[in-house]
Amino acid sequence: MRIVCPFCGERELGEFTYLGDAKPQRPAPVAGEDAVYEYVYLRDNIAGSMSEHWYHGGGCRAWLKVTRNTLTHEISAVAPAAGAGAAKVGA
Amino acid sequence: MAEFSWDVRSPLDRALVAGPYGAQGEAGVALTEIRNFDLVQIMARRGKAADMARASKARFGAATPETPKAVGTADATLIWSGPDQFFVLSKGGRHGIEALASVFAGSAALSDQSHARVLISVSGQRARAMLAKLSSIDLHPYVFAIGSAAATSMDHTSVTLWRGGDRGGQAVFNLLVFSTFAESLWHTILDSAAEYGVTIAHSEELV
Repeated sequence: MRIVCPFCGERELGEFTYLGDAKPQRPAPVAGEDAVYEYVYLRDNIAGSMSEHWYHGGGCRAWLKVTRNTLTHEISAVAPAAGAGAAKVGA
Repeated sequence: MAEFSWDVRSPLDRALVAGPYGAQGEAGVALTEIRNFDLVQIMARRGKAADMARASKARFGAATPETPKAVGTADATLIWSGPDQFFVLSKGGRHGIEALASVFAGSAALSDQSHARVLISVSGQRARAMLAKLSSIDLHPYVFAIGSAAATSMDHTSVTLWRGGDRGGQAVFNLLVFSTFAESLWHTILDSAAEYGVTIAHSEELV
């Protein structure tokens, strides 16, 4: 598997570290215990297109949001995660 | 109380034995450790990348690398090291961290890496063949031209790699590696280069 880093170009899998599902959002402090439990522990086991966080630790050390098909490993989109490369995400 | 006398020594001081190594005959690879340089990492503060680029342009008279590139200026090399960050490589303290502090005040955070990295220059007829064993970067001249740079890994070790100007009609590749990993990578490079024959040296001259 190869990932096209938006900063470095196409690189082999060995330069990246998988973090996990990019979908869960930290609930508001008042959201209650169930929402926090779901955020921390519950994950969908998706067969198909999934948004994931990957870390380019062996390269530019940027966090990336990768859309990957878990059945075929086909990658349809890669974007910098929030905070990675201030100029590119405008934050 | 014990007294200490600290010596500045290269992390490769023990491992680097100048002279020929590996296969006999004309050496296919030349390895040179460049010693005694100034290296400062410049990282833009949030939302200040444009300010950083302007300050850099005013100081060095050349556009800051915003893609994986190494840019040569009159007396420094600016090397991309990641989004919104780059290295300034120079000699003689002119662009050391104290000299640059006022230039980038407010736009970037500076970190002195002069003694935190080892700089290895790889050249020779078989340099590209040797590096192909260690790197997944396509180093073909059509893809990795003079001035190309990459933040990548060699033998699971993070390196900054860039192609300098040709010397004697041959490509020169420069490698910055963390000091504590330098000896390990040095041995790996030697193992990879042994079949081509290697000449080993160190120098104080930036190339």
